[in-house]
Amino acid sequence: MSTRDEILNRIRVILSRPDLPFPPAVAPPLDAAERMTVTSATGEARDLALRFGLEVAKLYGTYDVLDSEVEARLALVNRLRTWADEEAAARKGMGLETGQEKMILSWAAERLPVAGLAEMLQDVGWQLVVPADLTTPESREAVRFIRFGVTGVDAAFASTGSLLLAASAGQSRAASLLPLRHIALVPFSRLYPTIEDWLAEQREAGGLDDTLRRRAAWHMITGPSKSADIEMNLTLGVHGPKFVHVILFAG
Amino acid sequence: MATSTIDLHLPYTTRVAKALGNRHLHTALERATERMDGQRVAAMGAVEGERLRTQMRQMKEHALRHLPELLEQLESNLTANGAQVYWAKEADEVNRTLIQIARKANVQKAVKVKSMVSEEVHVNDALAQAGITAVETDLGEFIIQLAGEPPSHILAPVIHRRAEDIADLFQKELDMPPTLDPQVMCGVARTRLRREFLSADMGISGANFAVAETGTICIVTNEGNGRMCSSLPRVYVVIMGIEKVVPTLEDAFLQYQALSRSATGQQCSVYLSMTSGPRRPGDADGPDELHVILLDNGRVDMLAQGYGEALCCVRCGACLNVCPVYREIGGHAYGSTYSGPIGSVISGLLHNSVTDVAALPYASTLCGACRDACPVKIDLPRLLLDLRADHVAEGDAGRIEHLAMQNFAWMMGSRARYEAAGALANSGSNVLAWFSGGSIKSMPGPFAAWTDTRNFPPFARHSFREQWRARKARTKRITREE
Repeated sequence: MSTRDEILNRIRVILSRPDLPFPPAVAPPLDAAERMTVTSATGEARDLALRFGLEVAKLYGTYDVLDSEVEARLALVNRLRTWADEEAAARKGMGLETGQEKMILSWAAERLPVAGLAEMLQDVGWQLVVPADLTTPESREAVRFIRFGVTGVDAAFASTGSLLLAASAGQSRAASLLPLRHIALVPFSRLYPTIEDWLAEQREAGGLDDTLRRRAAWHMITGPSKSADIEMNLTLGVHGPKFVHVILFAG
Repeated sequence: MATSTIDLHLPYTTRVAKALGNRHLHTALERATERMDGQRVAAMGAVEGERLRTQMRQMKEHALRHLPELLEQLESNLTANGAQVYWAKEADEVNRTLIQIARKANVQKAVKVKSMVSEEVHVNDALAQAGITAVETDLGEFIIQLAGEPPSHILAPVIHRRAEDIADLFQKELDMPPTLDPQVMCGVARTRLRREFLSADMGISGANFAVAETGTICIVTNEGNGRMCSSLPRVYVVIMGIEKVVPTLEDAFLQYQALSRSATGQQCSVYLSMTSGPRRPGDADGPDELHVILLDNGRVDMLAQGYGEALCCVRCGACLNVCPVYREIGGHAYGSTYSGPIGSVISGLLHNSVTDVAALPYASTLCGACRDACPVKIDLPRLLLDLRADHVAEGDAGRIEHLAMQNFAWMMGSRARYEAAGALANSGSNVLAWFSGGSIKSMPGPFAAWTDTRNFPPFARHSFREQWRARKARTKRITREE
């Protein structure tokens, strides 16, 4: 008998014992009606966006809540400028230029919820880098020193300040992971009150399990990377981005 | 280094004595456990925490009742997603499988996400023997790997070290300039580990939970090393205990939130990585291969011996932080991968070799704080008592304890014998106390086991029954006049 069958058969025999103290003989699953929603958020789209901002700010993230895609585009450029100035100040006089200072590791243009970003950024001297393949040492070296990442989201949750991103063609995992600073663009249409609201919507549409399996990986991100391993002191940017900025906009 | 390591193979009493004698350890433990517990209480109090615990319990009971079906479902969905699934009964089978995978893929270096199960089966030793470098990437695990120590807390592996100790270590091992700023130390580790992530061939992690209905492995981290290890190397290997399977995505998110709140007082951890298979066509990054090893290593025995409740554990560490014993002695004194109340229950049941493992169920005051803190309501004090009972029944407790229990039963069997024994204990203990000035500092024979470590108060001069009789004799009966 294979190890697999040996283990499974043994569990089956044990579970059939009437005297087994645990688990209980009758152990029903949680049904949809009784299942709790752990957190809550209410209100119109704009209220939810403000709530998202409040939650992400508690975690040392930053945010904008804006009325249009045009404003979102401007906010993105402004945020990049501010951050680039901070980076330049930190490097000042140390001769640490890498040639990747004005590059942005990004999702493909058609996967971003704001149109015309690449052109607009090019006008002000920035370059959007959308890697098709990041599995070779050379391709990694080409993006290794990029300090800024720009992505959209598949969904965002107001009550916890969380972003949900699928990995897929045009949606690299690296853009929200490798750079020190990450900007996420969130149209109100992708914003849900809670995680459970998104799960319920997908489940009702009949495709929650398919939605999830269609991609090799999904990542939920709630604030900047952090650790408390050194004597419970908060440290930011351990491996993932140290700065997370979320631009929420009507659209 | 100021905070000394405790050799896990020393006898239990020596380990405890060493821990109690370490002032720095006490400081570090006190600072950390109180803070972590405060964060948990606040986070569970901010939502319907009791309802969350009840629903977690129901979900885990259901999952364990249907364990074989769920494991089959998980396996078939993982396989359909393009992953390879392996089964292992013992630790050495896990390591053999892991090394086969590594050899086949020509792996030189592996990066690891903090994983209790990989500590349990000693993956790092096995990889080292096979000539494969294994780098721990969780900041805390990275620190203890540099120091050559095992973790001392399920969640905060380096809880036993002060910032000063870590700074010393980084100066010595990583050429860090002198500083006590944790942000600087963190930056040094970031730069060093980024090189490792980008050059490693294999990522290794455990699983916080795995979703049967989709074949999805979930890992919960705050630093982002989980995302790195599951995204950058070309081979990704997951080693998970068979009890980690949950039925649905809704169940997974319920557990995710209960775990985040109980472990660190967060609403959500910073990252939740959900991997359903290798990189798909068109993806820019992600592993080419996903391998999942399902491990027994005593878990099925646990179920068979009536300790299945311990399989509900989500490894949040809440029971450690509230435990008055853990707070005094820390993780290394337990001598096992798993410490604290849950460690005392499972260490002897898992197929591990732990020195003096029979002593662990006694490393508890049975105060019940662990049961109240547990997000799955595991009745840890009862499980510890059951283990003690098994221990006595198996005869491991020694001839004298057996004899004592038999005598106790005989004595309690009649009122006259009980009262006579009380009188004897009373006069005997008071004579001993008189000789040693108030409380008894040493007792003969088997009783010495008590007085070796603490004093014994003498019995009251008059027993409760005697006092009650005397009181009744003094009290006048008042009868109401008609």
